[in-house]
Amino acid sequence: MRTRESLGGLALLAPTLLLLLGLVLYPFCYAIWLAFSDKTVGSPGQYVGLRNFIYVLSWPQFSAAVTNTIVFTVCAVAIKFVLGMAVALVLNQRIRARNFFRAFLLLPWVMPAFVVYLVWRWLYDPLAGLINYALLDIGVITSPIAFLSDRSTAMGSVVVAHAWRNFPFYAISFLAGMQTISQELYDSAQVDGASRIRQFRHITLPGLYHIIGVVLLLTTIQTANAFEPIYLLTGGGPSDATMVYTMLVYVMGIMNLRLGEAAAVSTLFLPLLVGLVLVVTMLLQKKANA
Amino acid sequence: MARPAIRPTRRQFLKTSAAVAVGAGATRPFGAPALAQRPKLVYWCYQFLKSSDDARSNFAQEWAKKNNVDLQISMVPLKEFLPKITAAIEAKATPDIIESDAVELRARGQLLDVTDIYKKLEKTYGGWVGNSPKIMLEPDGRVHHIMYGFQGFMLMSRDDLVKEAGLTPPPATWVDMLAYAKKAQKLPRIFGMGIPVSNQTDSQVWEDMMKSYGARLADEKGKRIVLGDYKPQVWEFLDFFTEVWKAGVLPPGVTTWDNTMNNSTYQSGKAVFILNPITLSLWLEENNPELLAKTGHYTYPKGPKGLIQPVTFGSRAIMKYTKVPDLAKQFLWDSMEPGKMDREHGVSQWGPVLKAYLGFDVWKKKPFMKGLIDLSLRGEPQGYPDVFNDAWREQHTNTTISRMLQRLVVDNWSRDKAFVEALDVLGKIYSKYAV
Repeated sequence: MRTRESLGGLALLAPTLLLLLGLVLYPFCYAIWLAFSDKTVGSPGQYVGLRNFIYVLSWPQFSAAVTNTIVFTVCAVAIKFVLGMAVALVLNQRIRARNFFRAFLLLPWVMPAFVVYLVWRWLYDPLAGLINYALLDIGVITSPIAFLSDRSTAMGSVVVAHAWRNFPFYAISFLAGMQTISQELYDSAQVDGASRIRQFRHITLPGLYHIIGVVLLLTTIQTANAFEPIYLLTGGGPSDATMVYTMLVYVMGIMNLRLGEAAAVSTLFLPLLVGLVLVVTMLLQKKANA
Repeated sequence: MARPAIRPTRRQFLKTSAAVAVGAGATRPFGAPALAQRPKLVYWCYQFLKSSDDARSNFAQEWAKKNNVDLQISMVPLKEFLPKITAAIEAKATPDIIESDAVELRARGQLLDVTDIYKKLEKTYGGWVGNSPKIMLEPDGRVHHIMYGFQGFMLMSRDDLVKEAGLTPPPATWVDMLAYAKKAQKLPRIFGMGIPVSNQTDSQVWEDMMKSYGARLADEKGKRIVLGDYKPQVWEFLDFFTEVWKAGVLPPGVTTWDNTMNNSTYQSGKAVFILNPITLSLWLEENNPELLAKTGHYTYPKGPKGLIQPVTFGSRAIMKYTKVPDLAKQFLWDSMEPGKMDREHGVSQWGPVLKAYLGFDVWKKKPFMKGLIDLSLRGEPQGYPDVFNDAWREQHTNTTISRMLQRLVVDNWSRDKAFVEALDVLGKIYSKYAV
């Protein structure tokens, strides 16, 4: 009887499982196979063992892509987190036109990425950009700064543009979490004389752990896979200062039509991405259990 | 009293449906209607300059109407062509006709043989212009794409500013161009040379300059890297580039410029010289005739070892999976008809590819178009003196020479270190194709 029930259950699950296998497992396995083949666009591709991996590992831009992807991901996630939390705290207060500001907050996030990054490129432009114009006008600088074209400022500029576009997701998620925390907890803490900072540390943060966990997990993956900001702002330059792995995959796979090499780059980054996600998950789990 | 509804049984329903279907078929004994018989042709049209794009797509629409063809046109910007066609090929859902430089697809066996059209065009219209045959013919004599126009980078010069500085345009050599740029620029508003040094393919004009100093990347077969044998020539070029950089004639930001920034810099009057196809002049003709009147159009300046003037091109090809090869060939043939091309050249950036096109009025009417004749007659295939093959194309996409220059000025690497890295990268790319 139990076996029949199990089989019935499996039969009911089968369509979903098949769909998942088809949509997730097949592309994943295919990408891994590509990494071991000499597949180019239009050719079936032959098994070439580790040749693509050896090629990619010796490619000068690969080491730059590893470092830059980590730097970009860590910095962008950190900025989005801090900014998102700050804005959520402000919008959780009883301020005038709160609903308007809550809706307004989503504006950068709902705008098409293409538009956002082209606007940022114009803002950063050393010849016609608003930032340089303003800085020159108020006398902070004497000559224009090429934000995107100087090694020392390029990555920071890209991170800022990316963070600006994506922090609303953090803010809205945190704000939603904050509204589930009982006001009584804050009232009691206030009676006990707890400062705002202590209230934040001992009530707000613990109340948000699960949301923070999910948001960080999702956005770490999303940020590490970001392509538009680099592609539209710097193209990976100057001199590979902003070359991230997605850009490298694009050049190898789409521009050069060498899908095997592009898949090898992605496959090599897989452990790194999994590692980043595990670190985030473990840290949060530890904190939640404490 | 309402009659109760009688629901037909499943068997009755199927019987009735079958009878209706047979009856409907019998009323059309001679096959399907004409509309369903119309052959379908999917055409991916290169999108760049509106007037030219409109001319080509309008012709295609008229042609389809005349020939009772169900034509589907997609305008595809050059930058999006490769991602789109890659997906289409992998999904085996390709268009029938594409417009691009087609070379990367030819090498991958994705195009239909169109040697017959090539030969017919050659015979009918007085032969091909300049290096067209060299670009289209493969070593075995076959042809897989039909060129419809030459284009190429030219020196565009703010002649008014050059003359104001007491100089006579055009500068004869690259060194002269630097001297002119220094004298004619008006910092911080107008910079001498609006040339990118970035990871975008327009930056590879520096490769052409390097070659005019006598260097070449690979041997005559296009298989083995020989740039290392040309160290003195490369050094001389790098000295020139360093001088350009230090002179401050390049606008800030050139190391991350995309392929449009040299255009916009010139359009906004912020550069004395740029290297660009004539598309910019056609834009100026419509939008800023005053600036066009101040602009001179010339072939590249020379290097110490002479002139390297590459040409690119636009061409049409038929994808090998097409179900209507004859119709697609008919389209390729009809689209090269001189009357049609005369109208198209008047609003396009393309130089003539067939001798029958050399007599068009447009070359006399628009002074800035004259340069296209010179370019078409004398221009060498991209990469010259290197062989224009897959390996060259990959290093070009990788912007290897521009990256070497960025190492010098962005990372402050020594010439030796930057040169060694460039050699290593070139060696890696070429060795993949050497087999």
